[in-house]
Amino acid sequence: MVRKIAFNLFAWSIVLVVAFPLFWMLVTSVKPQFELFRRPPTVLPETWTFEHYWKLLSETNFLGYFWNSVILSTTTTIVVVAIATLGSYSLVRFRYRGRESLAFLVLFTYLLPSVVLILPLYLMLVQLGLSNTITSLVIAYTTFALPYALWLLRSFMAGIPEDLESAALVDGASRLGAFWDVILPQLLPGIISTALFTFILSWNEYLYALVLVNSDEARPLTTGVMNMLISSFNIEWSLLMAASVMMSVPLIVVFAFLQSYLTRGFGAGGVKG
Amino acid sequence: MPKQVGPPDGQPDPERHIMAMQKQTLLERRYSMLGLLLIAPTVLVFCAVIVYPLISAIYLSLFKIFTPTLEGTWVGLDNYRELLTKGEFWTSLRTNLIWTVGTLSLQIIFGVGMALVLHQNIWFRSLARSLILFPYFISTVVAVLVWKWLFNDLYGILNHFMMSAGLIEFPIDYLGTMPNAMISVILVGAWKYFPFVVIAVLARLQSIPDQLYEAARIDGAGPIARFFDVTLPQLREVLVVIILLRAIWDFKEFDLIFLLTGGGPVTSTQTLPLVVYKEAFSLNQMGMAAAYAVIMMLIMLVFMLLYMRRTRTEGS
Amino acid sequence: MNKPSMIGKSISRRGALQGMAAATAVAAIPMRASAQDATLRWWSPQGAPAQVAAYQAQIAEFEAANPGIKVVFETTSDEGYAPQLAAAFSSGEVPDIVTHLPSFATQSYYANGLLEPFNDVIEAIGVDDFYPGANDVFKAADGNYAGTGIGNSAANMLWLRTDLMEEAGIAEAPTTWDELRTACQAMQKGGIYGAVLPYGRNSMTTLIFVGVIHQAGGQVFDTDLNVNLDTQATRDALEFYASMRELCPPGATNYSWGEAITAFVSGATATGIYTGRVLGNVNAQNPPIADFITCVTYPTKSADIPTWTFNDFPSVFIPKQSRNIDAAKAFAASLFNPPGYIQQLHAAPGHVLPVLKSINNNPLYQANEIIQKYPAEVELMSQAAAGGFNLGYESENHPSNEKAGEVVGSGVIADMVQRVVLNGENPDQVIGETTTAIENIMNG
Repeated sequence: MVRKIAFNLFAWSIVLVVAFPLFWMLVTSVKPQFELFRRPPTVLPETWTFEHYWKLLSETNFLGYFWNSVILSTTTTIVVVAIATLGSYSLVRFRYRGRESLAFLVLFTYLLPSVVLILPLYLMLVQLGLSNTITSLVIAYTTFALPYALWLLRSFMAGIPEDLESAALVDGASRLGAFWDVILPQLLPGIISTALFTFILSWNEYLYALVLVNSDEARPLTTGVMNMLISSFNIEWSLLMAASVMMSVPLIVVFAFLQSYLTRGFGAGGVKG
Repeated sequence: MPKQVGPPDGQPDPERHIMAMQKQTLLERRYSMLGLLLIAPTVLVFCAVIVYPLISAIYLSLFKIFTPTLEGTWVGLDNYRELLTKGEFWTSLRTNLIWTVGTLSLQIIFGVGMALVLHQNIWFRSLARSLILFPYFISTVVAVLVWKWLFNDLYGILNHFMMSAGLIEFPIDYLGTMPNAMISVILVGAWKYFPFVVIAVLARLQSIPDQLYEAARIDGAGPIARFFDVTLPQLREVLVVIILLRAIWDFKEFDLIFLLTGGGPVTSTQTLPLVVYKEAFSLNQMGMAAAYAVIMMLIMLVFMLLYMRRTRTEGS
Repeated sequence: MNKPSMIGKSISRRGALQGMAAATAVAAIPMRASAQDATLRWWSPQGAPAQVAAYQAQIAEFEAANPGIKVVFETTSDEGYAPQLAAAFSSGEVPDIVTHLPSFATQSYYANGLLEPFNDVIEAIGVDDFYPGANDVFKAADGNYAGTGIGNSAANMLWLRTDLMEEAGIAEAPTTWDELRTACQAMQKGGIYGAVLPYGRNSMTTLIFVGVIHQAGGQVFDTDLNVNLDTQATRDALEFYASMRELCPPGATNYSWGEAITAFVSGATATGIYTGRVLGNVNAQNPPIADFITCVTYPTKSADIPTWTFNDFPSVFIPKQSRNIDAAKAFAASLFNPPGYIQQLHAAPGHVLPVLKSINNNPLYQANEIIQKYPAEVELMSQAAAGGFNLGYESENHPSNEKAGEVVGSGVIADMVQRVVLNGENPDQVIGETTTAIENIMNG
């Protein structure tokens, strides 16, 4: 019992240290402007105010950017995870010439720094008539999210015992039937965590969004908020922290729900059976 | 571990019975077709959005190009010759390696450790998991700003805490002097990206069969022995991939360092991606920037090949 | 939208790039056809909410007066505009009007044939209404104007706290470096630092230090645009800058504009260096000191050296590839019409100063709380800014330097400051290496 409490305290103190910047973000976002620059800083706000949140929601295009980010990240995630799941299944469970080198080639394309990819990519998107659209960002994000997703899923896929699929095939299932009934449920934790990564990557991407899109109709949160609140002449700290909180909290909530799928029992069920 | 090694394409065993062999190859051929069909979307996407920019990057590196117009003159390999003789390239490469190795090892060690802790039944486990993953959720720009705010010499809470605890007498300059700047950048990088390792390892930990642990326990293995004999081998596959992906990603990291220190003081934290950006958009030398990028890619390629050969031979 | 410079070698190269795009793309859809609908895209990095509100009012007025033309405002950013405009210029999908970029960016784009000459817009606004010489900085090598200023800024004003000066027994605002140092030393106590100067590896350090070189009587380039850094003035400037280090907050090694203004506004430093944005920020964020601030032009090494004000000349320009050049010109000129222009300036009072005499004298412009509270300071900044310079235009005798943007962007001058001040390297060697580095950029 004592060991359990000690372990819990230990675990939670690390968690709190890691999460301290979140706490500080929250605190800063409810301090009035004049309290921000107090020396020494106040730990808890002396005056609480929600004016920064209100200002963001009522006076700026925050909600518009937010909506763009939701559409952009969701679309990217669906596209990337769908393609990568099929691709990784093929790479792990099928044998054909060039399979290994293909996987390798995928990774190879991932090596180039995005700074250099941007201009050629932009020219191509203009050529396709897609400049300044959310679609153009979905395409751009695929360039870095797909190799990532494919390799992650490939490793998760490799962790699923081959016997399971063979057993289903012996029972008369078709290859795709076995994929649907046996592989997918097994792969679900992997798919969910990959989807999560992809979503986060697209939610937080900055450089492509900065260069490829320059209209408020298509601009996501990262560049929208930054352009609005930071110029090299001024940083609106309190608004920025309020915006950061509103940008991060939805992700934390989504994850709190999703993570029950990642917990023990769900993925392990098939292995026991 | 399931296969992974072996002949790249499954040649049927020549000593098999001829009938079985024909049946086998027929089925295999159909399977290969299906396999190719499933990988087709991936290949298509790659050709469309990655291979083209890639080829054009290599192409651009052979020109001297003014960025805003993308017009230029052919210079062949001059860009490469120039950059390899420049001190800036070699010091930046060194800085880049220090940063990558430093932040990556912290991410892996801390990430695996935290995943093991969060795999246990601690109080409010879901909440703890959400909080741990939070650094990864926020965008780099936000993370950098929050840290700059924490590090601030005048209103920063870190200096305030340390000064009231009597640890320091004057505020520490976290980002403007060496080695503080490099340490800060590495730590913020580790803080930002270790949750990636946590999620991936946690997902893998879920699927390690209980029987393995029970068997080990019956054999009298303690918790440490169980970690090394059961957990680590099971995690191996995932870790190999995570390290590879993270290493590439860290080596290419731009936003975090650019926004935290801008490469300073002087050039102490100027990694290669920052040089690429500087050449491309501050100096308007797109050709030179592309040359840097291609060299970076080659360096990563060499490391990747060595790494994969190493892990593959160990794996078999 | 073909421009002459594309012909020849470059067009075949561009053709090759586009050919590759078409080959790999699933379907090559022709360029978006948007010739007829006159929608103007307006970019600016100054996108604070109050400023955007003012822009929208100006847009509404223009649209009402010009039916059929629509204007869309899009923010870019100080970090983002270089890659964004590079993408825009190289693809032809350009904004129709761009405002608030520094004058040297405008010159650099113009020199590469990317901008439309601005002469007729300046005439439409009224040549005589500009402060004398206000457009000299935009004069390009071919005699045309690359753009014009949408405002002036006096970015290296020395800000002072009169209450702290009184406490320390300082009667006069410092006019020389020695006086400044003495004053800062006297005021540095009780957790308050004497000064704030940028020592970071960023463009602020470069831009401010260029001013310090001039305040020592030196220059970066001579009037033929040869690098002229290896002088006693540069050494004096470095020495002065180093001596100020201990009077600045410890984190100044990483300071840029945002940190610099905050340090003074929050009361952490007794003096500051910034534009007139200080006025608005002090009143919003730290009202208790609002009655005790003033500004003077930044001191020089000795009384016989004239002051040198850094003005980045926030500009307006029109890309040549715009499909609606005439509409864009009309809109650019309309930006200077009194009610809208004044509202735009009031969005950050004292920060962006008017370039037109008629506006400065307009009662509507003067009828602003901040401007009325600090009339002497605003007037001083207007004067200083109108006679200001920057690295692209170091003096009236210098031709405009179209490589100034690259020199600033390369960070070599900030590196020089950091190497000498923070690392204590030998100034002679550092100045020599910096000279070579700048020469390489000029030739490159």
